[in-house]
Order: sequence, then structure tokens, then C-alpha cells
Amino acid sequence: MRVLQLVAAALLPLTALAAKKSPEERFNEAHAKPQPIKLDDRSYDALTKAPRDYSVAVLLTAMDARFGCQLCHEFQPEWELLARSWTKGDKGAESRLAFGTLDFLDGKATFQSMQLQTAPVMLLFHPTQGPHARPDKPMERLDFNTGINKADTVHQWLSRQLPDRPHPPVVRPIQYVKIAMTTTAVLGVITFLTVAAPYILPIIQNRNLWAAISLIAVLLFTSGHMFNHIRKVPYVAGDGKGGVSYFAGGFQNQFGLETQIVAALYGVLAFATISLALKVPRMADPRSQSVAVLVWGGVLLVTYSFLLSVFRVKNGGYPFWLPPF
Amino acid sequence: MAVDTAVPGADFFFKGESGRNTRGLLRLLILVTIAAAAIAARLFSVIRFESIIHEFDPWFNFRATKYLVNHGFYKFWDWFDDRTWHPLGRVTGGTLYPGLMVTSGVIYHLLRFLTLPVDIRNICVLLAPAFSGLTAWASYLLTSEMSDSPSAGLLAAVFMGITPGYISRSVAGSYDNEAIAIFLLVFTFFLWIKAVKQGSIMWGALCALFYGYMVSAWGGYVFITNLLPLHAFVLICMGRFSARLYVAFTTWYALGTLASMQIPFVGFLPIRNSDHMSALGVFGLMQLVGFAEYIRHQLPSKQFQTLLRAMVLVVFGLAFGGLVLLTVSGVVAPWSGRFYSLWDTGYAKIHIPIIASVSEHQPTAWPAFFFDLNMLIWLFPAGVYMCFRNLKDEQVFIVIYAVLASYFAGVMVRLMLTLTPIVCVAAAMALSQILDQFLVASQPSEPTESTKANGNANGNADIKDKLAAAIPESLRSTKAPLVGIYSYLSKSVITGAVTAYLLLFVLHCTWVTSNAYSSPSVVLASRLPDGSQHIIDDYREAYYWLRQNTKEDAKVMSWWDYGYQIGGMADRPTLVDNNTWNNTHIATVGKAMSSREEVSYPIMRQHEVDYVLVVFGGLLGYSGDDINKFLWMVRIAEGIWPDEVKERDFFTARGEYRVDDEATPTMRNSLMYKMSYYNYNSLFPAGQATDRVRGSKLPAQGPELSTLEEAFTSENWIIRIYKVKDLDNLGRSHQEAVGFEKGNKRKKAGKRRGPRTLRVD
Amino acid sequence: MRLPLLGLLLGLLSFVSALSASGSKLLVVIEDEADKGKYSQFWTDLENRGFQLTYRSPKDASLSLFLHGEPAYSHLLLLPVRAKGLGPALTPNLLVDFVNGGSNVLLALSGEQSVPSAINSLLLELDINLPADRTSLVVDHFNFDSKSAAEKHDVILLPSPEFKKGVKNYFSVDGLIAFPRAVGQVLGNASPLLSSVVKAPSTAYVYNPKEEGESVEDPFATGSQINIVSAFQARNSARFTVLGSAEALEDKWFSASVQLPVPGSKAEKSSNKAFAQKLSAWTFMELGVLKVGQIQHYLNEGSQKGISNTSEVASIDVNPEIYRIKNDVHYSIELSEWEIDHWAPFSPPQGDSLQLEFSMLSPFHRLNLQPKAQTANSTIYTSEFKLPDQHGIFNFFVEYRRPFFTNVEEKRTVTVRHFAHDEWPRSYVISGAWPWISGIWVTVGGWIVFVALWLYSKPAEPKVKTR
Repeated sequence: MRVLQLVAAALLPLTALAAKKSPEERFNEAHAKPQPIKLDDRSYDALTKAPRDYSVAVLLTAMDARFGCQLCHEFQPEWELLARSWTKGDKGAESRLAFGTLDFLDGKATFQSMQLQTAPVMLLFHPTQGPHARPDKPMERLDFNTGINKADTVHQWLSRQLPDRPHPPVVRPIQYVKIAMTTTAVLGVITFLTVAAPYILPIIQNRNLWAAISLIAVLLFTSGHMFNHIRKVPYVAGDGKGGVSYFAGGFQNQFGLETQIVAALYGVLAFATISLALKVPRMADPRSQSVAVLVWGGVLLVTYSFLLSVFRVKNGGYPFWLPPF
Repeated sequence: MAVDTAVPGADFFFKGESGRNTRGLLRLLILVTIAAAAIAARLFSVIRFESIIHEFDPWFNFRATKYLVNHGFYKFWDWFDDRTWHPLGRVTGGTLYPGLMVTSGVIYHLLRFLTLPVDIRNICVLLAPAFSGLTAWASYLLTSEMSDSPSAGLLAAVFMGITPGYISRSVAGSYDNEAIAIFLLVFTFFLWIKAVKQGSIMWGALCALFYGYMVSAWGGYVFITNLLPLHAFVLICMGRFSARLYVAFTTWYALGTLASMQIPFVGFLPIRNSDHMSALGVFGLMQLVGFAEYIRHQLPSKQFQTLLRAMVLVVFGLAFGGLVLLTVSGVVAPWSGRFYSLWDTGYAKIHIPIIASVSEHQPTAWPAFFFDLNMLIWLFPAGVYMCFRNLKDEQVFIVIYAVLASYFAGVMVRLMLTLTPIVCVAAAMALSQILDQFLVASQPSEPTESTKANGNANGNADIKDKLAAAIPESLRSTKAPLVGIYSYLSKSVITGAVTAYLLLFVLHCTWVTSNAYSSPSVVLASRLPDGSQHIIDDYREAYYWLRQNTKEDAKVMSWWDYGYQIGGMADRPTLVDNNTWNNTHIATVGKAMSSREEVSYPIMRQHEVDYVLVVFGGLLGYSGDDINKFLWMVRIAEGIWPDEVKERDFFTARGEYRVDDEATPTMRNSLMYKMSYYNYNSLFPAGQATDRVRGSKLPAQGPELSTLEEAFTSENWIIRIYKVKDLDNLGRSHQEAVGFEKGNKRKKAGKRRGPRTLRVD
Repeated sequence: MRLPLLGLLLGLLSFVSALSASGSKLLVVIEDEADKGKYSQFWTDLENRGFQLTYRSPKDASLSLFLHGEPAYSHLLLLPVRAKGLGPALTPNLLVDFVNGGSNVLLALSGEQSVPSAINSLLLELDINLPADRTSLVVDHFNFDSKSAAEKHDVILLPSPEFKKGVKNYFSVDGLIAFPRAVGQVLGNASPLLSSVVKAPSTAYVYNPKEEGESVEDPFATGSQINIVSAFQARNSARFTVLGSAEALEDKWFSASVQLPVPGSKAEKSSNKAFAQKLSAWTFMELGVLKVGQIQHYLNEGSQKGISNTSEVASIDVNPEIYRIKNDVHYSIELSEWEIDHWAPFSPPQGDSLQLEFSMLSPFHRLNLQPKAQTANSTIYTSEFKLPDQHGIFNFFVEYRRPFFTNVEEKRTVTVRHFAHDEWPRSYVISGAWPWISGIWVTVGGWIVFVALWLYSKPAEPKVKTR
């Protein structure tokens, strides 16, 4: 606690100094620091207070694990990349734009003063004096609710907000390590394949395997798995009464489990068909064969009628049904 | 059904020659009846309503066809349409797939030649059913190539004829490219299989020919362009490369590509666009492998062969790398958006809202599959499985097609269409297998008989042996020798069951067709409380109003969905239509619709808009109206003017999309909102106005319009047309003018605050 | 634009005797017959110029501006009234409709009577402001008439109005014009349809004699911001002129002698008569009325390149619906101007020119039209240019909006199509294509040779077999 006070005490004169400085100096010292600058409440105020002849882009974020801000973590590296490449882009700082990052932990006051519930939020402060001054709109705000998580989109936004100034492009550093790793991995795989070919080939060439794969694929797709994948539907949903409802109401939506049930039904039906068509005629013993026929026929009937009943649930007006369901 | 499914085993019971003839005759009869059934099943809408073109795109096709018939082919080819996309116009001749129009044009002139003057409209309306008959026949041919059972083909034809998955796009009046495309698809595949099996240049050339026809008819030709190479590629990987394959593929590729490049709209895509690169790559690979094979035959040295194989791989790798390089450098265009969005399913929603906005580009939920294919959907996997029983080239094709198509169908609703044929084929193979087993009159009793029956029952035993030799392990379910069914009881049970299912299937198809797929969305039918049918004809009412009450060249602004209909029925120029080739122009309309009047008016003036048309379902509870599509307009506009139109502003603080008192100011000031609800209160007692679609009570004070005036509102308020006012004669803003009309005084300039503004002149 | 033109032509047909370009029926609203005499000279002048005058009192029940929904008169002259309002027949809305109907209004105000509120709100719609207190006048201590208003300084003497370059001056008179007890108007900046005719001198200001007090603080307006005569021309070219002082039209000022209060200036006759004539002539469409005659555009290529004389033009396809990109086209428009009693060739004033736009959404060309030929009563302006390399629906657009001229807005819509499939150069014409063409033929030839060789070498095999 005491330490903190000390730190604060130590900071005070600094900020006071910063407060006294002319915007020119403030910008220069801000620009001297590695971008984006790590800010706290004081330095934030110092940097963003009027009058200023420069623009400031501040990312208000919440990196601490407690807040579980997924987007913050996704965007942080992008943000640093943007700041670095921008500052590298105009050494002479013609764009007069400083980047700062304010974490919630360092900037509670700021967050409260702006009543920010969500993070991250990006603020862009226009100059209050100089050629690019925007007295009508001193501050722009970029919300990340529209699924922005790449540096490029933010860069476009900045470029729009800062007209007739240089807009250094985002340059992504080439990751040699990654390239090397991928190449080695590829080579490794190739060698492995060449070595293991004699053992793998029979498996690959196994017909049952392929049959299984393609059947599973077909069953998955025809039972609407892609729909789950694209629409991100819930696996199951509880009905009002604490129970679990396996089938979503309505023709145009479904649950994850539901599709699996349907896929299973299809599978059973298909399997019954296959058995009737291929297995049964190959049975040498008449009695067991007729039993098998009856069994499979029964299975077919029951499953199909159940499928129909399920479909009647989905599609209200559907008139057809089979016994027993 | 029982008649025609005579198993080969039965050949001995009939006298060979005559038996074959009778069966052939029966086949013919059955196919004809199937075609008749297929056509009949598609006539619901004509009988219920009238011979009318359906939905949206067909209206353009119909208009284009009329142009073709009136002005001849060359005029059609060079057609510059100045009545759409005002003021840009559209180079229509070069930007459509002419196959459909040309087909019906040819039919029209043929009938003329036969002195049968049939109205072009009726030809267009009935084209799809007619071709569905052909499709049934084509699928019969295809399946007969696949399976050695004589009944499979006929079953496939029946399924293809009446399955809703295909009917959905081919009822009478849905005059769309798919109408003929599906026939071409199936027939091209049949020719391909034929070519691969026989390795004959003729069949390959025929395949290429019909591929060209397909290209001229439907954008979906890309499916063929990629499926055939894939098939060939897989065959090569399976070590099934053969001279037959080589001949078939090279013939098809060379001729087919040339043919496809004759279509102006396709032009040089086949060599510039990634969608077509797989075919090119496989073509190259084919040459390499062919060369390697040739060498191998010449000199059988082991090391040399390995070297050769290595070389082939390397060259192929290099070629592939080069292709990638070309793509990156931009010589070869990357995947087209629509095609790409199939793989990266999230792509369209972010990058191409227009594509994402189309309802038929949404993913498919399982009920849709069952709805469209009923019991075929579970016979389908069985059929695919049976293809593995004796895996020849054509069966491989079935498997690949099955997997791919079911993926596509899962991603996009409309691609159910490409899935349907293969489902029919596979299901027919499965079902025919059962029937063949259970409908044999003969009864295996003694082992000798059974072996005999076995020998006949699968005539291709020798081939199977070869395969068994060639491939390490055959399918588990087919290891044991075939015996046959002993008891009549089980035969009759299964036969009865299958017959029942088939009947149920027929019922289902009829029901679905008549309930779901037979309404021409131009005319809506609703049931009154007493059960009688009530026709809602607002669309045509409004379009004919436009046709009869507006200037010949009055520009009509509406959301693009209605562009084709306005062009076709009202015959008025439109700003945007369903051929969404110019995103910016559509975004402009979106901006005009979603901005304040002061912003929209200059846009409308600039584009010389005379009338604005909106679709409003609030009174009737018609959910497909513009307020529900509104967010797409906003999104598309935001894509171009991110700073002026913001989707966020149309949602309340709680992120809801509302039209009542809680609606955001942006929403309530947007032109679309105003046009939809203008004067709507007057229908209800004060404060009672409710929107039956959104199910919300509207603000007591209705919106005011100053730059537009209501020109027409259809009977059920589904379509509302507004006239764009001219500039005020006295140079006032429209708000002021309206205010003056209302008689409220304008405050004197003298009373203004601040420094006096001096006049300079 | 169509309608006014049509009306204008109809006017010509129906009022052959009329000299105004748009009808001759003039309604004079004057409160009591007694005052009529005051303006006798003005009346006779108007009648001599062929106007049919009708006098009505605003209280008159039979007074109505409209007949069967159409304006009953083509011109209206409003003289000041004492009553607070103008009565039911002359409400602001009706007057606005009257103007929208294409009729012209000359409104004369007077500092004597207070301005009715109806007039006030009407003028506000035109963006003309009057002093808040209804009785203020324009006063000037330097340019007053020292004879009649020696101490009140409320009769202002002004020379003939001057306009900036490029504006035609229809109101120039020689000598001084007297504006007794004028009501000053202030024009808003917003409306481009307004233009001031006579401005008050820089030393003038607005003063209300009713209110006592030596000094005026914050006058309503001062200097040249005050307009004594201002003209408004609606988008349908209907004219609305506000004359600050009705007295200026009275006989006694027509023939008054006036004198500026500067030493050395001598008394001279006021030129009010001439000015009144000019002003009414302009307001009642005897001046500055433009008419568009024939508009022609045609292909200026191949056989019909550079043809000029009408006989040839008649033979070709004029005003086609559709052109092709990069066509050379010829555009010509015929303009004439109404001068008092006849159509005369129109030529824009010095430093101004007529322009043609070829536009789709935005202009692709904006060209000055050159006067090419002249007929007895019209000038033919032409321009020749190459169409842009952009297909679409374009407009030949001539828009000429200038103060004191009626508006010209002529739009001719044409379609510009793309190259047809057979309009491109053939492949053998393009030298770049020669390698490819030769390649094709080499391939074909090579194949034939190959086939020939193959067939030739075929029969060898049986021999091999026989051996």
C-alpha cells in the first residue's frame, strides 16, 4: 500500500510536468516512446487533454484474465502491430498520431468517467488546434461490436478519420520460424509416408474404411450438420419444465443432438436396407434367414415410422404417418 | 412395379428373343408413363391459378425470351438493355446464360414451322415440366449404366420424376435456368460415364457437347467442371488409370473447354479463373501419367519406374506451385465469391452481404432434406454403400458425387438441386437390389439350384473375382456366396412393405408439391376462416397500375428483389434488379432507403427516380416484406458508406430491431420506415395501429413525408408506390413548402439570433 | 419545363393581339376606385401596350384569381391596401398557387399604409423580409429629393440600376428615379431565384417615423442590404416583382422634377415613367423570355459527317434513340428571345455562354455551345463531340438559369450502347494476333500431315503379320 503511495507521489511531479508542457513537447515525448504507449489514468489525461495539435488513438482494453475478454486478447497483438508499423511508416511523424493502450486495471477512473461497460473500445482524439483541428467532433469512438479483430479494418477506419495525412500501411513481419517449421513438418510427413507406405497402403486401400468414411460423411451432411456448423446452434435446449427438449420447434431450426438422432435413424434405416439387400440373401439356413428378414423388416418399419413422427413434430401440418408411432 | 423388375435369373423362363422384346416394349411404356406422371405432377399451379410465370428470376428470363423471339438471335446477342440498372444500363446479351431463352426460342419457331402457333408465354411456362420428363429418362440411362439390375433405372426414373427436391425448381411457370440445367447435368454425367466405360471419343465428344449446352444454360456448370476432373483424379490415385479414362477425359476437356468459351458471359474464364483450374490441372496430370504409362510399357526396369513416378509427382507439384503463383500474382482470378463461399462458409456473410442476403443461399436444416427427398434420404446411404460392392469407375463416380453433393446441399439450400439426381440414382440402386432379391419367383431349395441361381443372379461373377484378386479385401457384407430368399412369406412381407413405402412416397411427393412448391409467389393464396381459398393479387395489381398510370420511361426505385418483376410485369425502367452485378448501385439504393429524406432526395434526383416502390406486409402479416429485408439494405449500404449508414443505429440500446415506440430515431427517420408506415394509422382507431408481421404496436403519431407523395397503395397494402416530388417551384425546401401548405407561419428572419447574414451579389 | 413552354405557345396562339409573351389579361387589385385616377398614365401606357386591364377591389366578392382551377389572369398587379388583410380571394396560399400556375405578379408596397400580414408571410415564402413594424420607410440623408422631402428625407432619388458583368440589364433608364416613402426589403441568401433590381444607396437605412426618438439603434437594415425593387423568378419562370414604393407609379411622380441635395445639382425631370414601363414590361413577360425551338442531335460520322444544310439533315435519321460509345455526334439547339413584340435571335450577355452537358449521374462532357447560324428570329447553337467510352443512359442537357431570363432546361435522353459483336476489328486486322492465327493454322496443317503419314504407314502392319 505504502509502496503504491510512494509511486503515486513519485508520479505526481512527472504528470504535473507533463501537464505544464506544451502540446508540441507532449507529442514529441509520446512519439519518442515505443508505440503503443502503456497508459494509466494520469498519463492518459496528460496525453489527451486539450489543447493538442496532434491526434491520439487510445485502445481501452481489459487484458486481465478475470474479465475474460476474448476480443481484447485477440486484438492486442494486432493493435501493437498497427501502432508499430504506423510509427515506422512515418518516421517524421507527419500524421502526428500517437498510439496508447489503457488497460482497465490502470485506468478504472477513465473507464468510469466514460461509463464504458464493454471492452475493447478505441478512442481517436482529433487535434483541437492546428490545420487538422475538428472542433465539431473532438473525439471519435470505434466500437468493436461489429466483429473487428484485424489491424487492417482499424487501419482503414483510422485512414478515413484522418484525411489528407500519410497513412502508413500495416506491414506484418515475416515469421521465418513458422515457415521453417512448416517446411520441416512437410518434409517429415513426406519421409514418414515414404517409410511407412507399405504398412499404410493396405489400410488406405481398404474398401470398408472408405465405405465407412463416405457413409459417415453423407449421413452427417444430410442430417444438417453444416447447418449446426454455420448457425452455431445449441446442442440441446431445456424446455420450460426443467426437462430437455431434443427437437427444436419449427421447420427452419434444429439442435445439435437432434441432428445426431436423425443421423442415427438414417443410419439404422440404411443398415436395415443393406442387410435386407445384401446379407439376408446370403444366409444359407432358411429358418434363420426368414427370422432375419422379419427382424430387419420390423426394424425398418419401426424406425421409419418414428422418423415420420419426428418430422410431424417439426412440420405441423404433415399428414402422413406409419404405425406404430 | 412388379412387372418390369424381372431379374436376369428369369430370362430362362421366357423365350430369349421374344422375352427381350416384350421387356423392351414394357420399358418404353413405363418410361413414357413416368414422363407423363412427372409432367402432370408439376401442373398444380397452372390448374389452380393460371398459366403464369413464377417468382423473380423467371420474369427476366421470360422478358429476355420475348426479346429473343421478337428481335432474332443476333439482336439478342448484342442486346443492351436500357430499362434496367438505370442509368447504367446492362449489357444483357453478354451477361446472361442464353441456353434457356434460346431453347424456348427454338421450340417456339419449331412449333411455328409445324404450323402450331403457341404463345411464347405458354412455352416458357411449360418448359420446365417438359424437361423434367427428359430428366427422368436421362436418370434412367445413367442408372442403367451404374447397376446391372434392370429395375434400377426405372426406379431412378420414377424417383427423379416426382421427388420434390427437383419439383421445387421445375413446376410449371418456374421458368428458370435450372429448368433445363438439371436434365443437362444428368445427361452429361450419363455421357461421361458412357465415355469412361467405353473409352470412345464419340461419347467423350457428345459429353463435351452437352457440357457446352450446360454451360450456356446455368452457372452451376462449375459443378461438372470440378466433379469430372475429381473423378478422373481419384481414379488415377486408385491406380485405375486406363486408356479409356485418358481418351474420355482429354476429349471432354479439350472440346468442352472450347465449347464453354463460346458463351460470351463465360468467355475466357475457363483459363483465367480458379474455379476451372482443377480441370486444367488434371488434364496436365493426365498427360503426364499417360506418358509415364507409355514409358513403363516400353521399358520395365523397376528403378526407372520409381524414378518415373517421382518425376510425375515432381512435375505435377511444380505445375501446381506455378498455378498458385499465377493466382497470387493475379493472372488467374481467384475463386469467384459464390463458389468460394461454399468452402469458407463464413466468407459470404462478412464479405459479400448480397450473396448472404439471398434466402436460397442459407444452410439447410435436416427437415428440408426429408421434406424434399422423403424416404430416398435413407435409401441414399445404402445405395452408396452398395456402390462399394463392386467398385468400378462408374461406382467411384457415384461415391464422389454423393459425398460432394451432400456437402454442398448442406451448405446451400438451392444446391439440394444438384444432390437430388444422385440421391435418386443411389436410392434406386438400393431399392432395386432388394426388389431383385425378393421378387424372384424361383425358390432356392437344393444346393445345386442355389449355386446355379447364384451363378446367374450376379452375372458378373468373373469380374468380381478379378476385382477380388485386384483389391485386397472385398466388402464384408458380400463375402458369402449369394443364395437367394427361401420362404415366400418373407418375400411377400418385404415386397408388401416396400410397396407400401413407395405408395407413401408418392403421397408425400404429391402433398409437398401441391402445398409447398406450387404457389407462384406473385399471386399469394390464403385460406379464409371458412376454409375457402382467397387469392391475394396485390403484386400484379400494383404492377399493372404502374404500367397503366405512369410514363413509359418512369424510373421506379425499389429493392432489387422486385426489379425483374417490375421490368417484366410493369415494363418500367428500374434502378436495380435481381441480377446483382453492381454492388455499388445496389448500395446506393440501400442508402437512399435507409437514410433521412434530406439525404435520400438528392440521390433520387440524381438517379432521375420518378416512383419508389416498397413492399409492406404489416397489414396482412406477410412476412417477406421490405422492413424484414431492411437490415440487408443497411448492411449493403454500410459496406460502401461505413460512415454514413451504420447498422448499429437501427438497433435499440438493448440490441433489438424494433418498429414501435422504442424504435431508434435513425430507424424512424429512414425513408423505408416512413414509406412503410405512412398513413398506416388512418386504418386503425387512434393509437391502435399494429404491425401484424412484427407483432408490435406502432407509435400513435405516424411518420410524415415531405419529399414523396403517396401515389398508390394496393388492396392489402402489400405494395405501396410513392411519387418523388419535383423541386419546389418557389425554391423552398420541401419541409417548408409542406409546412406552408399546412398553414403554419414561418418565423421572421428579423427575429433570428446572432449576427445578421448579409446578402452578397 | 415542357408545360410552361406549351402554355407559352398557347398564349401566343390565343392572344394574337397581345404583346406579352404570356397572355394579356392583367388584373389590377386596387382598394377604391378613387385612387384609380392617380395612376392614369400608367394605365394608359399598359393599355397601349396591349394589356386588357381588369380592376377589382380586394373586398369584391366576385374577385377570384382562378377560373376552373386555372389562373384566370396571366398577370396581377397588387396595389397597397389600407385593410389589415387582403380578403379571402388573395390569401398567401392562393397567391402561391397563382404563381405556380405560371402567372406573374407585380406587388407594389407603400410606406403610407401598413403592409398586410398576408403579404408579409407570402414574401417570407419567397425569402424576402420586410421590416417588423409595418410602417417603416427607407430614409437617406444624402440621396433624397430636396424639393418634395426637404426635411423628411423619405423620397429617395436613384440613378438607373447597374448589374454585374454577365447579367443583362432590362431596367436601364437615363436620369434619376424617385422612390417616395419606399418600403425596404431584405433578401435572404438562400434562394437563387431572387435577384435585386434596385438597391438603396449605402447611406440609406430603415426608419420608422411612428416611433419618436432622435436616434435609431439597430435599424432593420442599412445601406445596400435594403432593396427597393426586387425580382423573384420561380422555377416555372413565373415572375414576382416587389416594388418598394407604389407612389413611384403615380402620375405626379411620372412628371415630377426632382433634385439631389448636393450643391451644384440642378432640378431634372424624374424618369419614373420609363422605369415603370421597363419594370412592368419585364414583370409581365415582355422582356427576357427565352424560347427553345428545334433541338437536333445526330450521328456525325461516315456518310453524314459534317453535313450542315437542312435539306441534307432532313434526309438522315435525326434524334436517334440510341448511339454507340465513341460515336461522333452533332447537337444543335435553337433559341430565341422575346423583345416587347417579336421573337428575336437570342445571344447571351457579355461574359456569359450557353453550355451543353452530356451527363449520366455526372457530366461526362460540358461544352460551350457556339452560335452557328441565325434565322430571322432565332439563333442556332451547335456543338460536335465524341461520346465517352462508357455505355449507359445519357442526357443531352442544356440548362440556362440566369437572373431576368426565363429558365431554359432541355433534356434529351439517349442510350449509349456497347460495341456489338461484329463491330470489333477482325482478328487478321490486329497485327498482334498474327502469331496466334498462324499457330492455329500450323496446328491444323500439322495434324493433317500427321493423319496422312499415319494412314500411309498403316498398311505396313499386315505384311509384318504375314511374315
